[in-house]
Amino acid sequence: MQKDHIRNFSIIAHIDHGKSTLADRLIEMTGTLSKREMEEQILDSMELERERGITIKDQAVQSIYRARNGEDYMLNFIDTPGHVDFNYEVSRALAACEGALLVIDASQGIEAQTLANTYLAIDNNLEIIPVINKIDLPSADPDKVRKEIEDVIGIDASEAVLCSAKTGEGVEDILEAIVERIPAPDCDDNKPLKALVFDSKFDSYKGVILYVRVYDGTIRKGMKIEMMATGATYEVTEVGVFKPAPVNVDVLSAGEVGFLAAAIKTVGEARVGDTVTDSVHPAEEPLPGYRKATPMVFCGLYPVENTDYDNLRDALEKLQLNDASLLFEPETSTALGFGFRCGFLGLLHMDIIKERLEREYKLDLITTAPNVVYQIDKTNGDIELVDNPSAFPDPTVIATVSEPYVTATIIVPKDYVGSVMELSQEKRGEYQNMTYLDEDRVMIHYSLPLSEIIFDYFDRLKSCSRGYASLDYELSGYKPSDLVKVDILLNGDPVDALSAIVHRENAQVQGRRLVERLRSLIPRQQFSIPVQAAIGNKVIAREDVAALRKDVLAKCYGGDITRKRKLLEKQKAGKKRMKQVGTVELPQEAFMAILSMDKKK
Amino acid sequence: MERWEQFQGVYVHTPFCLQKCLYCDFPSYAGFSEEVRQQYVDALCREIELRSRQRDLPVAQGATVYFGGGTPTVLSAEQLGQIVNCLKQNGFWNEPAEATIEANPGTVRAEKLKALREFGFDRISLGVQSLQDNELRSLGRIHLAEQALRAIEEAKQAGLQRINADLMSGIPSQTMESFHQTLDKILQLNLSHVSVYSLILEEGTPLERLVGESKVSLPDEEVSYNMYEMTTDVLTRAGLRRYEISNYAKPGQESLHNKVYWHYEPYAAFGVGSCSFTGKERRTNTFDVHAYINSWKAAETALQNNGPWQTERLDPKTQISETMIMGLRMTEGVDLNKMKQRFDIDVLKYYRKEIQTLLDKKMATCEPGILRLTPYGMRYGNQAFEAFV
Repeated sequence: MQKDHIRNFSIIAHIDHGKSTLADRLIEMTGTLSKREMEEQILDSMELERERGITIKDQAVQSIYRARNGEDYMLNFIDTPGHVDFNYEVSRALAACEGALLVIDASQGIEAQTLANTYLAIDNNLEIIPVINKIDLPSADPDKVRKEIEDVIGIDASEAVLCSAKTGEGVEDILEAIVERIPAPDCDDNKPLKALVFDSKFDSYKGVILYVRVYDGTIRKGMKIEMMATGATYEVTEVGVFKPAPVNVDVLSAGEVGFLAAAIKTVGEARVGDTVTDSVHPAEEPLPGYRKATPMVFCGLYPVENTDYDNLRDALEKLQLNDASLLFEPETSTALGFGFRCGFLGLLHMDIIKERLEREYKLDLITTAPNVVYQIDKTNGDIELVDNPSAFPDPTVIATVSEPYVTATIIVPKDYVGSVMELSQEKRGEYQNMTYLDEDRVMIHYSLPLSEIIFDYFDRLKSCSRGYASLDYELSGYKPSDLVKVDILLNGDPVDALSAIVHRENAQVQGRRLVERLRSLIPRQQFSIPVQAAIGNKVIAREDVAALRKDVLAKCYGGDITRKRKLLEKQKAGKKRMKQVGTVELPQEAFMAILSMDKKK
Repeated sequence: MERWEQFQGVYVHTPFCLQKCLYCDFPSYAGFSEEVRQQYVDALCREIELRSRQRDLPVAQGATVYFGGGTPTVLSAEQLGQIVNCLKQNGFWNEPAEATIEANPGTVRAEKLKALREFGFDRISLGVQSLQDNELRSLGRIHLAEQALRAIEEAKQAGLQRINADLMSGIPSQTMESFHQTLDKILQLNLSHVSVYSLILEEGTPLERLVGESKVSLPDEEVSYNMYEMTTDVLTRAGLRRYEISNYAKPGQESLHNKVYWHYEPYAAFGVGSCSFTGKERRTNTFDVHAYINSWKAAETALQNNGPWQTERLDPKTQISETMIMGLRMTEGVDLNKMKQRFDIDVLKYYRKEIQTLLDKKMATCEPGILRLTPYGMRYGNQAFEAFV
C-alpha cells in the first residue's frame, strides 16, 4: 500500500456514546468481516469487557477501504477505553495515530470524558474529526452539539459528520472523511527502523507480543531488532496485523500498525513507549516515549486461605504482563497475614483486576478498602509516603499530613447544580468555577481530595443528578490536611487492616458509623464481640455483636431436606469469603465497611 | 435386601385445616368445601393405585405408615377409612411396625379415635403446642388446653397407647414459668413421646409479619435459649430420652416413621405437597389442591413424566451429604459401618478435615463406628451440618 493511502486513527469518546458500535460498523462496512462473522462489539474481546459493556484493552484493526474515488486505502484504527481510570491507555493509543474520530452522542452532547480525551488528542497533534452519533434517536440535536463543540472545545464543527452507528447511516461518510481529512503518515520505508510500542500482550507460547506503530523502516520475520531503552536484541519470529484477529504478514511497513513477536520473555524487557529498531542498522534517536502511569488508588489484596499466597503472587505477575500500570508489592498485616499492596489507576481498574483474579485464577480474596498515598512530614524533618493506613506513623512524630487533591470536572444539567455543590462541599471540595456549556448544562470545576473521590463520590454524583452528571478528574498536587488514623479493635485487639484515615472533624462521626456498620456486617458467633473505634488510645465508639446462643434447625423431616440443604450450602458459600482474624470471622464486606457507611442497610 | 433398598415408610398428606395457625408454612389450607375434600380423598386413592402399578421400590414388611397434614382428622372416619383401605389394597400397608395419625385436639372425638384404632392406627400425634390458653390463642390454634387434655384422655380410652404431644417453645406470651408449667402438665399424663420445637418464624406467615410490625413480641433470644436447655433438663429427668434434636421418648417408644427420615431410608408419599424418596431421587407433589385433584383424575397422568410433581435427582455426593446431616440430628449419631456398606466410603477419611474441626471444637465425638454431635454440637447444629454439605 502506498504511504499516502494509509490512515491511522483512533476512536475516542465518553462511555456509551457509541464508539464500540461505530467500530463494529466500520469493520463491517469495509468488509473486514462479513456480517455473519461479526460478533457484537467484537473489539471488546475479553469476556469481562463484554459483560460490563466496557473496553479495557486496546485493540488495533486493519481494514482496506475502497473509497468513492475508486482507490483502496489502508485504515488502521485503534479502539480505546473510555473510562476516567484509563487515560493512560487512551494516550498510548493516540500517540500511534495521525487522527481521531471524536464521537459524541447527539442526544447527550459533550461529557466530561469527551473533553478529557479531546485534550489528549490535541496534545498529540492529531487531526480531529467530530462525529455526531445516534442521530436516529428522537432526542438527537446535532446542531446543539455542533455549537457545543465549537464553544467548548474550540474546534471547527461545521464539517462534523452526522451518523447513526446503529442504523449505519452516515458511516460511509465517516470513512470518506477519514480518507480525506486525516493526514497520511509521514514516513519512509528506507530510513532506519523506528517503531513505537504502544501496547503489549503476553502469550504463553510466543512470549510478549508487541503492538507497534512503525514510523520509519520495515519489520520482517527473521530480522534482528533492538529495544532502544534496554539495548536488548531479539529475532522477530512473527509479524502481522489485526483484522481484528491476528494475521501474519511478510512485512510491516512504515506508517502501518500491527504486532510482532520475538520470543521476548517478560514485559519488563520490552516496555510500552519504547522504540523498536533494527539492531544491524539502528536508528539514531528513539521516539519520544511515555511517562509511567501513576497509580492513584491502592488496596491490600490478601488470600482468604494463607496457602493461596503463592497462587496470588503468580496471578498478579501474570496480570502485570499485560497491564504495565498494575503495581504490587508484598506486605503483611497482623490481622490478615501475608498479602500484597496493589496500585491501580482508579477504582474501575481495581475492580477489574480483582474480578479477573477471582474469575480467571479462581482465588478467594479479601480486599481492604482502597486508599490513597499520604505524604507525612515528620517532626524530625523526614518526609514519608504512606500507601497503607496501618503504616501511618505515631501522631507524636507527625508534623503535617498531606493528601493528594484532584481537579474534578463535572458536567451536569443546571437543575442539579445545587445538589452537586452540596455533595462536593460535603466531600471537602473547594469550588473553583462554573461555566454554561449551553442553556441546559453546566460545567463545574472543584478541587477535591482524591480520597473522597475514591470513596463513593462518583456513585453519589450519579444519584444526586439522576444519572446525568459526568465526571473527570486529574491529579493536581498535595495539600496539607488535618487527618487522623482511626483504629478498629475487635475483641480488644486492633485489626490493622480495618484502619482508616479520616478528617479530624469527621472522625467521631465516622468512627461511630464505622463501628455500627461493622456490627451489622460481622456474623454473630458463639460469644459476644465488642467492636471499638479508637484514635490513638482513646476509644471513640463501641458496639457489641451479640452472642448467638443457639443455631439449629428444630425440625427436619422428609420434604424439608432439599430446602434446608440449599440453605446450608448458601450459608457455607457465604462463609468462604470470611477471613479468620484472631478469634473473629470477618466477611469481605467488613473490610469495605468504610466505603459502604453511607449506604442504607 | 438392605433397608435402603425398600420403602421403609409410607406417608399420606391431608392438606386441610379448619383454620390456619399463624406460624404455619406447611402445605395446608382452610376453607375447602366438603365436596373438594372428598374429591381429594378420591384423587389420593387414585395416586396410590396408580403408583402401586409402577413402584420404584418394594414396600418392606413392617414399613411404617404416617398420616400427616394439615389436619388428617379434619377428614371423616369414613374418608380416613377409605384411604387406609386403598393403601391396604395396593400393597402399601404391609404389616406396619407403626401406624401414626396426626390430630388436632380440636377435631377429635371418642368415636373417631375408636375408628382409627380399628383401621389399624396404633399411634397418635397431637398438636398440643402449649397448655396455656393465652399462648394457644396467640398462635391462632383452634383449641384450648382443656381440649388437648381431653383429647389425650380419649385417645387412651380408644386404645391408642402410643401418644405423642407436639409442644413449642419461644412462642408469643410464653415465659420460662409458663413453659415449665406446660412441660410439667404434659409429663403428668405419662405419654410415651414428646416433641418440643423452638419456634421458627417462617417467611410469609402472619406471625412473621406481626412480629415484624412489632404487634407481637417473642421471648428474647436469651430466654428462648434457656427454654431450649430447660426442655432437655425437665424431660430427661422425667424419664424421656432425647433421641433427636427436638424429640424425646420413653425407651422403645421412638417414632419409627421419623427415624426412617433421619436414617435416610426410602419412603413413599402421597398427597399434596408430599415428598417421596427412593434413595436416589426425591419427588415432590404439587402444593396446589385443585391441580392435584385434576391431574390424578386422568388415568394416564401418573405414569407420565410431566405429572403434578417435581423430581430431584440426587448424585452420590449429595446423598452422602444428606445422610450425614439427617443422621447427626439423632443422638445415636451416624453409623459409620452402614455408611461404608451403603456408599462405600470411609466417612472419617471422606470428611477428614471437617470432622477434625468439629472434634477440635468439641462439637462432635467419634467412637468406634459412630460419629455423633455433642449437646454443644447440637446447640450449634447448623454450623456442624454445614461442614457436610
